[in-house]
Amino acid sequence: MQRVAQSSLSTSVAGSYGSFKGGGSGSGSAAQVMVYEQFPAGLRVLVVDDDVTCLRIIEQMLHRCRYNVTTCSEAAVALNHLRERKGCFDVVLSDVHMPDMDGYKLLEHVGLEMDLPVIMMSADGRTSAVMKGIRHGACDYLIKPIREEELKNIWQHVVRKKWNENKELEHSSSLEENDRHKRGNDDAEYASSANEGAEGILKAQKKRGNAKDEDDGELENDDPSTSKKPRVVWSVELHQQFVSAVNQLGLDKAVPKRILELMNVPGLTRENVASHLQKFRLYLKRLSGVAQQQSGVSNTICGPVEPNVKLGSLGRFDIEALAASGQIPPQTLAALHAELLGRPTGNLIPAMDQPALLQALLQGPKHLPIEHGVAFGQPLIKCQSNISKHLQQSKLSSVEDVSSGFGAWTSNNLGTVGPSNNLVGLSAQNSNMLMDILQQQQQESQQQSMLPDPSCLINVQPSCLVVPSQSSANLQAGNNTASVSQNCYFNRSSVIDYSLLSPQSNNSSLNIGEFPNGGLNTTGVLSGYTAPGSISSSVSSSSVNADNSMGRQGQSSSVTFSAARQLPGLVPNMHDIQGSYTSKNGEMLDQGPLRNLGFAGKGTCIPSRFAVDEFESPMNNLGHGKLYVENSRVKQEPNVDFMDNTKVGIPILHQFSFNDVASVFTE
Amino acid sequence: MDVMSQLQRQWLEHSAFLRKEGYLDDQFEQLQKLQDESSPDFVIEVVSIFFDDSEKLLSNMARALEQKVVDFKQVDAHVHQFKGSSASIGAMRVKNVCIEFRNYCEAQNLEECLRCTRKLQFEYSVLKNQLEYLFRLEQQIRAAGG
Repeated sequence: MQRVAQSSLSTSVAGSYGSFKGGGSGSGSAAQVMVYEQFPAGLRVLVVDDDVTCLRIIEQMLHRCRYNVTTCSEAAVALNHLRERKGCFDVVLSDVHMPDMDGYKLLEHVGLEMDLPVIMMSADGRTSAVMKGIRHGACDYLIKPIREEELKNIWQHVVRKKWNENKELEHSSSLEENDRHKRGNDDAEYASSANEGAEGILKAQKKRGNAKDEDDGELENDDPSTSKKPRVVWSVELHQQFVSAVNQLGLDKAVPKRILELMNVPGLTRENVASHLQKFRLYLKRLSGVAQQQSGVSNTICGPVEPNVKLGSLGRFDIEALAASGQIPPQTLAALHAELLGRPTGNLIPAMDQPALLQALLQGPKHLPIEHGVAFGQPLIKCQSNISKHLQQSKLSSVEDVSSGFGAWTSNNLGTVGPSNNLVGLSAQNSNMLMDILQQQQQESQQQSMLPDPSCLINVQPSCLVVPSQSSANLQAGNNTASVSQNCYFNRSSVIDYSLLSPQSNNSSLNIGEFPNGGLNTTGVLSGYTAPGSISSSVSSSSVNADNSMGRQGQSSSVTFSAARQLPGLVPNMHDIQGSYTSKNGEMLDQGPLRNLGFAGKGTCIPSRFAVDEFESPMNNLGHGKLYVENSRVKQEPNVDFMDNTKVGIPILHQFSFNDVASVFTE
Repeated sequence: MDVMSQLQRQWLEHSAFLRKEGYLDDQFEQLQKLQDESSPDFVIEVVSIFFDDSEKLLSNMARALEQKVVDFKQVDAHVHQFKGSSASIGAMRVKNVCIEFRNYCEAQNLEECLRCTRKLQFEYSVLKNQLEYLFRLEQQIRAAGG
């Protein structure tokens, strides 16, 4: 064990298991080559806490868990360490109150730059504090004094995140094998599969650190029996690589062949890139059309490479950060994302509570282009059990049991997502469903300003495009109070692709364009609008009341968004978004909201993915006021720069009863 | 042998006393459990760190409260930290005073804050003495072959 000066980094290894090499500071990414004899032993943890007493205690506890521990008493130093040695850590434990940097800031950085699960710690166990942690995207929140048992289980966050990411790949890749492993394991098999998973994770991480090929790598490397899959899963990372390649070449000169070369992803074909590029161009076109209002948007989109790349990464991180309670891997919601990724959302988790939704869903068009479809592969909302039931009945494979409301996010989604079979169809259906629902909702619940409980559900995985559906009461049909039910909103939104959000919603809820209606809930969120109080009292987050835009939203009891409030700020953004959609679908929601969603400010380049964030925000809120997209029917422009824009925090959960909330977090 | 068992008995009694009187809680036991061959002086090590930290925090608190214009947020930050570290080692009484202290910080009640500082100093000193006694016993036990 080497102990360095207190303020510096110190790494100690718990026992000597496996063949451990390096582990000191400063070796390259290859320094920590650990062979895990028995997962989760060897998990590489970075602990950051200015309280040296706690630091020492936690270090000792982690050693007892046979983890590989690196401690640091200064956040800035920790961040540097993480940056220098990307891929060298599996999870970060950080204190909330630190003198040199707020724990949440660190959390944001880590989420954005390294995509690692971050667990917060604090002596402050107040609900509001924990809530804040969740909103900022922490995977977990531990209250001091911390017990060893709690630390023993932190590996689950690492695995979960990995698996969720893998899920995307599973659909179309040879990882199906792994998928089977993962999903079909019972306790007995768990260890071995966990090992696999762990190794996969480790491998992936190293790969990521080295080649940034993680997704592709996994696609290709982990499964020797792979036969070229017909479909490539455009994960967040992959898409980012794509975007950076395009940026580098310049949009005009970006030809598939060159992009492919720059990306240098094994297994990716020119055709994959070409089709993705086509979608991307369309996306950009929409954005630029919509971006009039958003000054930044067009620029970013067409602008210098950097912004684009940034956006992409931001979006991803943002979404991730948004991932509620950290349980869920960051998932990009935006329909655009789905669009771009061309990935059907496996799990449309529409939380529609209404049978109508199901109907709609079932009857929905089968062929909505992916772009339009909502791709949620996973998570999403668990909001309402009935909905899920319905959905399930309706053959939506993705529908997860809503029962737990939030909890389900990650894990559930994954499970349900499972076969993405006919995702496209699903999404299509969903969108239709959503639309129908929305319409119905609108008619029925004018007053209700239900905010889709964004927090609820969004568990959007990057692969899925979550279309923020106008939360408005429409979807919810009546859940006002329970935030959980609200979730449905979210789902709805998420499920619905933008197109669906359809302008039809005359009611406030959907009209994205019409902010005042509060339709756009989502957008509101995005624009970093911090809605004034309106939201249920408890919601402390700045989250914008997504509701604002949508009058409807109100309902949602709670949370979030102060729902019904108008998010004036947000609206503008949304417009952009909407605009884009309408062009596409015609019906789409007014852009207004959308604009906010993504474009606000940053002009996200990356589609949809981030949209999810928007919705999720309540939970995940990175602290930006991201609004929970749910509320607004807004269609989320994929990738709207959620990250940037949404400053709207979605007051989440406020209204939920503690149980609801708790259930969300329980796996 | 006699000495040893006597020492051990004293050690046990003192530990029980500290627990009973609320100076220490379960968390301290957790610390003791964490001590093993690879870290044979773990408890003493951690408690020493705690003592060092505490003294710094206490003096910071006092200084902050002496300012013309008291920055209660700053005081609260110190108290919060102290609360965290005392909770981590199981110093229950100290922790409880911290909890009370924080309320007064929030209320910006200078007088009560000053009172709490004194109380905190007191509880901390008592705890320190108690623990040092306990550690001395331990050392003696070890010296005697235990």
